[in-house]
Amino acid sequence: MPFISRTQRQSDYNLIPSSCPIVIDNGASYFRMGWAGESEPRIIFRNIVQRPRHKITGETVTIVGDHDPALLKYFDCTRSGPRSAFDNDVVFQFEIMEYILDFAFDRLGADQSPINHPILITECACNPVQSRSKMAELLFETYGVPSIAFGVDAAFSYKYNQKLGICDRNGLAICSGFSTSHVIPFINGEPVYEACCRTNVGGYHVTDYLKQLLSLKYPHHMARLTWEKVEDLKMEHCYITFDYASEVRLFQKGAKEAEEKTRCWQLPWTPTPVEEPPSEEEIARKAALREKHGQRLREMAEAKRSSKINELENELKGLEFLIQQLRHVNGNDIPSFLAETGYVSKQEIESAIVKVTQSLRKAKGEQDEIEEKQDLSATEKYTLIDVPDNMLTPEQIKEKKRQLFLKTTSEGRQRAKQKRFEEELERERRNKEDEERRLENPELYMEQLRVKYNDLSEKVEQRKKQKTNGNHGNEGNNVSGGVGRGERLNAAQKERMRLLTTAAFDRGKGEDTFGIKDEDWQLYKKMSKDNDDEDDGPNEDEAELARVASRLREIDPTFFPKSEASSSGTEPPRFRPLTKEDFQILIGVERFRCPEILFHPNLIGIEQAGLDEMAGVSIQRLQSRGQKLEDGITNSVLITGGSCLYPGMSERLEAGIRMMRPCGTPIRIIRASDAVLDTWRGAASFASTMHFSRQVFNKKDYYEKGEDWLRQYQLKYTF
Amino acid sequence: MEQEVIESEMVLPTHLRFKKIQMYEKYPKGQARGRHWKHLKQIIQAENYQNYPADEPNYVNIESPPSMHPRKQICDITGYEAPYSDPRTHLRYANTEVFKLIRSLPNEYVQRYLALRNAAVVLK
Repeated sequence: MPFISRTQRQSDYNLIPSSCPIVIDNGASYFRMGWAGESEPRIIFRNIVQRPRHKITGETVTIVGDHDPALLKYFDCTRSGPRSAFDNDVVFQFEIMEYILDFAFDRLGADQSPINHPILITECACNPVQSRSKMAELLFETYGVPSIAFGVDAAFSYKYNQKLGICDRNGLAICSGFSTSHVIPFINGEPVYEACCRTNVGGYHVTDYLKQLLSLKYPHHMARLTWEKVEDLKMEHCYITFDYASEVRLFQKGAKEAEEKTRCWQLPWTPTPVEEPPSEEEIARKAALREKHGQRLREMAEAKRSSKINELENELKGLEFLIQQLRHVNGNDIPSFLAETGYVSKQEIESAIVKVTQSLRKAKGEQDEIEEKQDLSATEKYTLIDVPDNMLTPEQIKEKKRQLFLKTTSEGRQRAKQKRFEEELERERRNKEDEERRLENPELYMEQLRVKYNDLSEKVEQRKKQKTNGNHGNEGNNVSGGVGRGERLNAAQKERMRLLTTAAFDRGKGEDTFGIKDEDWQLYKKMSKDNDDEDDGPNEDEAELARVASRLREIDPTFFPKSEASSSGTEPPRFRPLTKEDFQILIGVERFRCPEILFHPNLIGIEQAGLDEMAGVSIQRLQSRGQKLEDGITNSVLITGGSCLYPGMSERLEAGIRMMRPCGTPIRIIRASDAVLDTWRGAASFASTMHFSRQVFNKKDYYEKGEDWLRQYQLKYTF
Repeated sequence: MEQEVIESEMVLPTHLRFKKIQMYEKYPKGQARGRHWKHLKQIIQAENYQNYPADEPNYVNIESPPSMHPRKQICDITGYEAPYSDPRTHLRYANTEVFKLIRSLPNEYVQRYLALRNAAVVLK
């Protein structure tokens, strides 16, 4: 049942006689205002003020209460959210209070002259005198109110229900409001503030707790969980359990009742259209198309190749023709003859021919045989090597050096080739042996292979672990990565730190012998960051592991490499189509976990007694003040205030109070006739009696009697 | 201002004829003014409750005492009864599954869960 604001402007203000008081229930959540003697308040709105900026004109405007959120789109509300004049039920920001009163009087229909009606306004129990006097000042000075009376909200509610015959002259009022909860005992129809009791937990905390829990549980839907929506969820679904522990155990076991008790809020969601798998024809068509494209590409490449060959052949022909022409030309005329062609000498043309033939060969896809030829001619190429130096001219010595270099490199190449060839042979031999062994006894072989694989993988893992020691096995740290504070370093890192610290602090102590031995200089290598990556040990193991794994993969259908298995276990699937379930907000345990804070405020870190214990504390205080405690006080326990509307509230309170009272004490928990509006109705009926006009004070009283008098001021509720 | 906004009368008029002092007179525009209100804590301090007899009820002494009941320890994530508490994150948890979850939570979320019961690290 969401609360509904009532803010239509009233038209009958001028018809009401000025003796008729205006009654204000100034609650932390809702502000209610109306005329004394009426049964319903005229004006109801949320007790908040927003001061957003108008988007077009840029002026700051004041908006009181909550309005159609659709109209707020014209305002920039990012700078200031809704603000309340209250802190723990005490009005402390009177600028906001003034906006609220402005709006309320305006909607009640006041125009023209100052407000010429007595005012009855509610406040919390034991309101600090500063707040009270500021409120009186505001009403007298700004609105010109003739007289004021202050009363306590819970008391009006109790008195109203007493008048209805619901509760007795002696009893307890348990009033759980928006930001605080009060327990006030009543003796002979008068509240006993000496024995009352306040805990700073109320509906605000419940809603906030629910909002926080849900937005932590569903971080993707945080934007949907607005305060108003969560408030609605709370009012609709939250309840109070008789026994939290047993109820929560139901949910922990996943019992059927728990499933029934879980509520689901389906957010608007439109399923993404499912793509149908392509039909046979489609696949065939696509394949054909692909084939066609491939064919065209192949043809294009072929054409390009042939044109290139053609070009090269033409060039070669041209060059050969040029050479032939050159034969007929005189030696002296060669430069002038060649001037047109761009070549300078015959040698250049020849080298060009060689180049062109080579690229021609390459284009035709023939093997490059030059290397072989070079190998064959190796012996006659290195002619100078065996000749001693002293028999050579300086140019020849240079040439000899070059030849020597060429020879060693080509020999090295040969050796590498040889080695590769041998390795190939070895591998083949090993594979053959493996195959033989497998054929002999396939199962034993497989078993051995598996054992070997496990050993190796463990070894490699161990190696890796040592490198990144401390980070393994705790997921919390994997996220942050690196070596954090308090994490263990591995051996190499420790050694490095030791070296660095000794290097930093060991200077100047004793004799400095650094550098006498050559090994000293190794220190810098050890200090450098990447020295521990250089060892080759694991590489061999890793290679072997890879070989065994590939072998296993070939012959063992059940084989599954370890690293892949572990990674696929922890990594969630990346792309999963969003389903209906992703747009559901499930409220299970939260339904009773959130209101539970009224009974156990320590769940949200408030170390005060809960509602049931407060009743006990209040009764205890009553006894210690020497009040003659009538047994009947627990026979009339009224629960009122918005946070008392949860189902299960009275049963839980009864059980809680029964635990603290002597056996056989009569306990009767009564719900207020209307937990939300009773305060205003009580105040309105009180203000309509003659009794009220004797208890108001005017501006003159206020300034003459002073603060001490105002502190003592207390309304008498009985007449 | 848009027509529908004006029609809904959601914006409070700046001048109201029933007021003796208007808002713009009390808080003139463009004038720097400090905070002209006190926090609740300051209000309570200024009340000097210690100067009054202890048995006179006031805003501070009617507060409930700390609870005498055994503290209820519930799992910060699920709300189940929590026999364990994680020394690293200081979160309470109910079973191994929740433990796995809290160890994979980023620190920001851990702090937000702790803030729910006023146990988060507050940097000042």
